[in-house]
Amino acid sequence: MFVYEKKLQYPVRIKNCNPKLATVILSQYGGSDGELAASLRYLSQRFSMPYPELKGLLTDIGTEELGHLEMVGAILHQLTRNLSEEQIKTAGFDTYFVDHTAGVYPAASAGWPFTAASLQVKGDVICDLTEDMAAEQKARVTYDNILRLSDDPDVNDVIRFLREREIVHFQRFGEALELAKAKMDQKNVYYLNPAFDRG
Amino acid sequence: MYIESDNTRACGDGVGTLPGCAPLAVPYVPFQQESAQKYGQADALANGTLFPGLNLPFHVKVSPGNLPRTACAELQALQFVLVELGLYLDTHKEDKEAFQLFQKYAAALEEGKKRYEAMYGPLTLCAAAKDAAYEWLDDPWPWEYKQEGAGK
Repeated sequence: MFVYEKKLQYPVRIKNCNPKLATVILSQYGGSDGELAASLRYLSQRFSMPYPELKGLLTDIGTEELGHLEMVGAILHQLTRNLSEEQIKTAGFDTYFVDHTAGVYPAASAGWPFTAASLQVKGDVICDLTEDMAAEQKARVTYDNILRLSDDPDVNDVIRFLREREIVHFQRFGEALELAKAKMDQKNVYYLNPAFDRG
Repeated sequence: MYIESDNTRACGDGVGTLPGCAPLAVPYVPFQQESAQKYGQADALANGTLFPGLNLPFHVKVSPGNLPRTACAELQALQFVLVELGLYLDTHKEDKEAFQLFQKYAAALEEGKKRYEAMYGPLTLCAAAKDAAYEWLDDPWPWEYKQEGAGK
């Protein structure tokens, strides 16, 4: 089960509201490579995993991603506080505002609502871990691009933190794959799927 | 600030080669070596990793985050090291030195949470039972930030 702790993983303290920047960061909330997708992917994949290291790592990283979802939500909330009449008409934000006012809604920057169609649970050890490594890279690039687009130091401090977590998670998924491979057929790791076949 | 040296390791971060006989057609990520250099907790949180060897920033934003000097940030730093060491131990469960550090930080975090809750209110619903009145609902919630008088 999950127990809520009333604090963020990393401080989010944004002084200036900036609705345009919020529309860009929205993708890390509800976009295909965002934190919600990451969290659901890992917390769902773990059920069929055969080895303790994989069950544990997917649980722990999936849980951390929920904390990142909360941080991104906090960024979006703080960037869209106390908006003026003029600010709600900001190009790009106006179309979000008409549907969600200043609420935080899981969608991609381009407007698509969050969809599980952007993630996969294949039920195969090598496939799922490779997907997870790719997911960390996709999220890392999204944060790179946010850093290119943002000139708010309060926002960039948080984005830098979140981006670095993708790199650490990539490393751990890679190590987890090594641990899994060591338990599989050394001559042919594709001989069977230990998440399904009883070998 | 580093709290451990790396002079016991076979090779430094970012150097070394794959085994020539590694299996084909499957991803290969090298294991992080034991006794890797580590930051202290405040630098770890500011950089997003406990390990200098994994700190690989993007050119647009290289400097570590500028953390506020608050009780909450101190607690976040302790908790962060625990999360980071937990992930490390998930793939390095035999690393006794790392496990000892994990235990040390877990004890510090436990103490830190007690001190924090005594001053700022409960961190969990369960902890709310320790107070004389029900303070779980009290503002601010974690996503709220007011520039002036932001105590947390």
